[in-house]
Amino acid sequence: MLACGEIRTCLLPTRQALDIRAAAQLLGLRADERVLLSERPNLYARSPETLTGVDCPLPSANGARVRAVGTVAARAALTEGRVLQTSAYFRLPATGPDQRRPWGHYLVRPGVLEPFGKLPHEAVAHGVLDGGRHGDLDVGLIADGLLTRLLRHPLLDHCPPLRSRPTRLRWAALPAHPGEGPSLERFTLAEDELRTVRLRVPEDTDSAEIAVLCDDLALHDWLLTTLVRMLDGIALGSGTPPRSRPGAPERPAVLAALRPAVDHLLHLWMPRARVAAELAPLWEALEERPGFTRQWLALVQRIRDQLALHAIPALYREVEPAP
Amino acid sequence: MLVFAASDKGGTGRSVTSANLAYQRALTGDHVAYVDFDFGSPTAAAVFDVPSAMRGTEERGLHSYLEGEIAEPVRIDVWRQTEHPLLRARPNQSGRLVLLPGDAGGGEFATGEEALERCIDLLLRLNGEFDLIVVDLSAGRSYAVDMVLAATAHPRMRNVPFRWLVFHRWTRQHVIAAAGLVHKEHGIIKGGVERGHDEDALRAAIRFVRAAVPDPESPLWSQGSPAQAAWMQACDETLRRLAAEHRIGDSVVLGIVPLEPILQWREQLITEEDVLSTQIANKETLEALEEIALRLTDDAHWGRP
Repeated sequence: MLACGEIRTCLLPTRQALDIRAAAQLLGLRADERVLLSERPNLYARSPETLTGVDCPLPSANGARVRAVGTVAARAALTEGRVLQTSAYFRLPATGPDQRRPWGHYLVRPGVLEPFGKLPHEAVAHGVLDGGRHGDLDVGLIADGLLTRLLRHPLLDHCPPLRSRPTRLRWAALPAHPGEGPSLERFTLAEDELRTVRLRVPEDTDSAEIAVLCDDLALHDWLLTTLVRMLDGIALGSGTPPRSRPGAPERPAVLAALRPAVDHLLHLWMPRARVAAELAPLWEALEERPGFTRQWLALVQRIRDQLALHAIPALYREVEPAP
Repeated sequence: MLVFAASDKGGTGRSVTSANLAYQRALTGDHVAYVDFDFGSPTAAAVFDVPSAMRGTEERGLHSYLEGEIAEPVRIDVWRQTEHPLLRARPNQSGRLVLLPGDAGGGEFATGEEALERCIDLLLRLNGEFDLIVVDLSAGRSYAVDMVLAATAHPRMRNVPFRWLVFHRWTRQHVIAAAGLVHKEHGIIKGGVERGHDEDALRAAIRFVRAAVPDPESPLWSQGSPAQAAWMQACDETLRRLAAEHRIGDSVVLGIVPLEPILQWREQLITEEDVLSTQIANKETLEALEEIALRLTDDAHWGRP
């Protein structure tokens, strides 16, 4: 068994977060199935799954052309009405038939791709994480297509409260060694926007549950990335702006720059909120190193300290706040 | 904010000047995207000095994206991928500077509904990511011009602010042509109104940039004879009157870029080093570019003239 997927994570481009009813409207991708809505421990809405039929070669690191046929599952989720994620994923059994079956066969196996012959696990996992060649299966395109569709929804006013960059997270889950529990082998920041995750999970793990875990990783990685960039881009303290010349616009005041984080992001941190109990231990690895929550808390503390300093009237400040 | 760079004729320095404006804004800390809709003659790669980054992007540029052949157009991170030695040292506290190139060798093409939707998708996504998006449009009343007029009139883009810069040289023919591009029967304003724009609002969002303007006061001409100087003054005066008559007078000019060999011959970004160390560029040119870059978002320079 091999499960793979890709997730796009971005700020929902609206001035205000969507309430739970509006979220249900946005994510109602199918008339025949309801949007999953949940208010504990945070506001969360998840669309029904959509299926995309595919018949194409799988990406593979060693150039082996493995054709696979079946359906890729995709769905969208909105956390606290603020962060939008689209996630596409599939599962591959270790072997498949040598010829294509009628579509009915594949349609009753949503989110399953059957390889022709024996599946080279390792090569395909590598291929998926590194990105395939033109013409290979690209689940990122399916996630992106769903994102494009959602971003065309008339509910969105396209006035985001802050500028932020979307991220992509690719994941591949290989079978765990017999008798071993799930483990996170690697989490990399590949390019500016690309993250890759390599997991091992017991054979019987539901691929939808793995996708939920990876959604959760992607969400929190996006939050960290966004906050880091936000603090990176502002000139703290009252030092001279980088290019001061007459008439130059003032650097965004610290308060104006940090306020959107307080309004829209700081309350979103909640690792493992919906991760299945048997996969939750995978978070431990990231908490240990690099320490996701540790970094998040440091950033939040830094923002609160800045706000506190700026709350003191300038008159009473002996020194100007500096980083 | 979206800034559309248009011109009636080629050779106005539209691409090189708008690229310099994008560069100047990135230096001040803005995240800037430069979108090359100059279908037919993409020069942005040369201006940003990213020739090798362009290799392999032939089928992954904006044409392919608009025609639906690829899901996302390729992006080039200028600070990281430029071969210009001065640009590689990205200044501290500068913002991102990203080029979205056209396809090498791609020409103009007819735009349909789907291309328009994809154009809107792209501009909206960039709007969520960048403070400033400079869109370089091919000369004349091109498909690119029509497409962005339709895109900005679309209900999905109702909250995205946009402004137009029309570049022209400081000659009789260019003044008349630039005025025609905006105000004439088949001009930008009429075309915009046909696509649903409010005429006054659109007019208020258009400003002109006079490019390659010889400044009679400049030391460049100080060696000339008194007769020459007088003649230049007279010509300048006549052109000003002509521009005013054609409704592109001083009140709707955002800035004036002096005649500058670097922009004319090399088409490159002008850095502080070009002015201070090597002195191959004129200080006035850099100052003019900095000033126009600031005015792009300074409301005092926009609104009804």
